[in-house]
Amino acid sequence: MRRELTISEERIDEQALSQGRTMSRGMGAAVCFLGVVRGTEEERPILALDYEAFKPMAEHQFQLLFDQAEKRWLLESVRLVHRLGRVPAGETSLWIEVVAPHREEAFAACQFIVSEMKRVVPIWKKAFPLA
Amino acid sequence: MTGLIAACYSPAVQVRIHFYSYFKDLAGLAEVTESLAPGSRLEDLLQKLYLRFPKLAAMKKSALVAVGLDYQGGDYVLAEGDEVSLFPPVQGG
Repeated sequence: MRRELTISEERIDEQALSQGRTMSRGMGAAVCFLGVVRGTEEERPILALDYEAFKPMAEHQFQLLFDQAEKRWLLESVRLVHRLGRVPAGETSLWIEVVAPHREEAFAACQFIVSEMKRVVPIWKKAFPLA
Repeated sequence: MTGLIAACYSPAVQVRIHFYSYFKDLAGLAEVTESLAPGSRLEDLLQKLYLRFPKLAAMKKSALVAVGLDYQGGDYVLAEGDEVSLFPPVQGG
């Protein structure tokens, strides 16, 4: 399985990422999920979220999740970008794409990686400004 | 006898602890070094830290603990030079 992982303060360029998609002839599904910063946190308006990570461990834990996904489903590729630093409301903080032969495994693997990320990958966020 | 003498004179194990997210604020610093008796477990270190940083003790049920880049349980036996990280539940995405 091909894997690409980027954890960076750079703005996520969804157009460039979409243009970079490659699928071999046996692949029939590409599932892409975006996490976008909401303009409210606990019903209060916010301007942004500040993301912080323990980056080496976050990269390692993402790779362990990719290992698990690769064992459970037949996947051709996983590409994931997580933004750090201040992310304004309305902008993308997470971008993930899973390519597989069929939609079932593509959706399942994408859901698995995002759900598990929220359990084990050491990234935290804080509302700006603080309530 | 030699083994007993060696055990008696075993140097303390030094570990570095890193705090992340709001645990840094609760501890009042980002990292600290602790000395422990040889054979000490992660649980022993945590008890020491919670005594030293009482504000962290209130979070001990939800705290996540890693050694190096992997999560470890309280029974993990600490070795010289281990890098321990202590942080609140993660919130990526």
